[in-house]
Amino acid sequence: MSEQDVARTGKKRRQSPLGAGTPMCAGCGGLQALHQIYDLVGDKTVFVNAAGCMTLLSIYPFTPFPGSWLYTAMACAPAGAQGVRDALDVLLSKGRIRPEQDQLPVVLTGDGSAYGMGLSATSAAIDRGLDFLYICYDNEGYGNTGHQYSAATPTGARTATSRVDGYSGVKKDLFTIWSAHRPAYVATAIGTEPADLARKVKKALSLRGPRLLLVLAPCPTGWGFEPARMVEIGKLAVRTGIWPLKEYSDGAVQHTMVPSKRVAVEDYLHLQGRFRHLFVPVRNDDKLAALQLQVDDYWSHID
Amino acid sequence: MYRIRFHGRGGQGIKTASRILGTALFLEGFEVQDAPRYGAERRGAPIFAYVRADDAPIHERGVIHRPDLVVVADDTLLTITPAQVLEGIASASVVLIYSVRSESWWRQQFPQIGQMVVLRPDRGTGVGLPAGIFCAGAAAALLGTVSREALVKAVEEELAAHDSALVESNRQAVLAAYEAVSVSHGMVHSGVPQPVAKTAAPAWIDVSRDAVDIAAPVIHAGTTSRLVKTGLWRTRRPVIDKEKCRRCLQCCAWCPEGGILVGEDGFPMIDYEHCKGCLVCVAQCPFKAIRAIPEAQAKEERDAQASDRQ
Repeated sequence: MSEQDVARTGKKRRQSPLGAGTPMCAGCGGLQALHQIYDLVGDKTVFVNAAGCMTLLSIYPFTPFPGSWLYTAMACAPAGAQGVRDALDVLLSKGRIRPEQDQLPVVLTGDGSAYGMGLSATSAAIDRGLDFLYICYDNEGYGNTGHQYSAATPTGARTATSRVDGYSGVKKDLFTIWSAHRPAYVATAIGTEPADLARKVKKALSLRGPRLLLVLAPCPTGWGFEPARMVEIGKLAVRTGIWPLKEYSDGAVQHTMVPSKRVAVEDYLHLQGRFRHLFVPVRNDDKLAALQLQVDDYWSHID
Repeated sequence: MYRIRFHGRGGQGIKTASRILGTALFLEGFEVQDAPRYGAERRGAPIFAYVRADDAPIHERGVIHRPDLVVVADDTLLTITPAQVLEGIASASVVLIYSVRSESWWRQQFPQIGQMVVLRPDRGTGVGLPAGIFCAGAAAALLGTVSREALVKAVEEELAAHDSALVESNRQAVLAAYEAVSVSHGMVHSGVPQPVAKTAAPAWIDVSRDAVDIAAPVIHAGTTSRLVKTGLWRTRRPVIDKEKCRRCLQCCAWCPEGGILVGEDGFPMIDYEHCKGCLVCVAQCPFKAIRAIPEAQAKEERDAQASDRQ
């Protein structure tokens, strides 16, 4: 649809602030969430992007961002955000920008950086009380390089580096690691629960200091499902209790959406190629029961 | 030197096909290069992969501009200019098209193609397997220098990480395709050397060295990504039925691209220049007001409308 088409039909269109035309895969759950987040955080931001799928958002000379964007190496996006914050502070103190021209540093990384390579720089930034928002799109693997396992890969998931029986580790609890630093705000979210996500973005924006939005990003390419099922799978991640929606602020953790009756975990698993080995050629009842138990155990500790 | 260029879409196994062919040639004693082109290696996006094979060490690098064999795993790419499927073909070049359409139909469409082989999808063997594996088998037969044994061994090596049932179905598929084009066995001829001295100067403009604040890749305009037409990735398009649409606009929220806009009449409008065809909107519409149609059908309907207007 070109400008001419719009002119011909005489219709106005409401375009989303974040531009289309990105190289993200069709059906990308991370991009779907980022659109909603960007609608609220807006362009008075400097996005500091660690290496990952979303590095490809801005490939010279194209960018979907109406606001600023900076690329850093994989392990140091929060350090980049510190530099941006310091530079803005210098400009403010010298009167070269007015207070209303100030911008918010927003770190944008995948789980490889957030859970693993960049965790040290993140921890240090929280220690320093850096005033920034961290958005992690968690697709549970190194998605941009062929989906090798990361510290965010769930138990049993096949990846390029756990091809036979799936990942033998456990998904790292980044929410608790962040919360233990006592930052301003930590929340898990998902793009397929837009109301919950929007409320958390607004809450994060109302606070100052280190803030994390940890967003599960259903990944058709890495998880092995038809792109059309992205929303269905995202909703199942919540309804099975696999992805608990919760937030931390003022020293307390609250669950924001407790599934009243949890759907069986295998309803979520069997839709994804990365868990196919649990069902064919023979159903692996022991492993399926163990994965269900992981989830049941988590919720048994929640009031 | 054989120069083979693969064209397909992300998800069709094009990279794997090029690796299988490269490995098979290697097993036959050739010096081999094979590499996919990095870029938007995304599902549905046009994908390129290159294989070179020679008796002597290969000093050529990079993109193949003058192919001896072009393999087209998705025939819809032939009409998409940026996919550059027919770039640099000469009368000796062979174009292999994986298509349900007949060779005579394709010859009518593209009379400039000198030598053409059409591989029809096999209805018996390897149903559900991506096009790439069939293309690898047919390409091997067209070269005439790859034996069945080397081809099978290459499949087994490249798919070693997968379960035996999958390897077996791919083994059958690659052999079926190899047999299907057996009348054209050895049709592709090794191309002449292209020494660097004789290569045409590249079509770039030399830029003088600027200060780093000018020369660094800084983008000063926002949302320039809208100039990138990711609609090319689509093989099926969502179409909104305004009779059924209740204007709930859930589709706008679910669209990963932000590619569904709201018209002044309150109805959602799909931005076909950017819609990648994930079809999340079709799956999620609570009123079943969005259906998916093949792009080819959409093109036919557009053409019919255009001829009605004339």
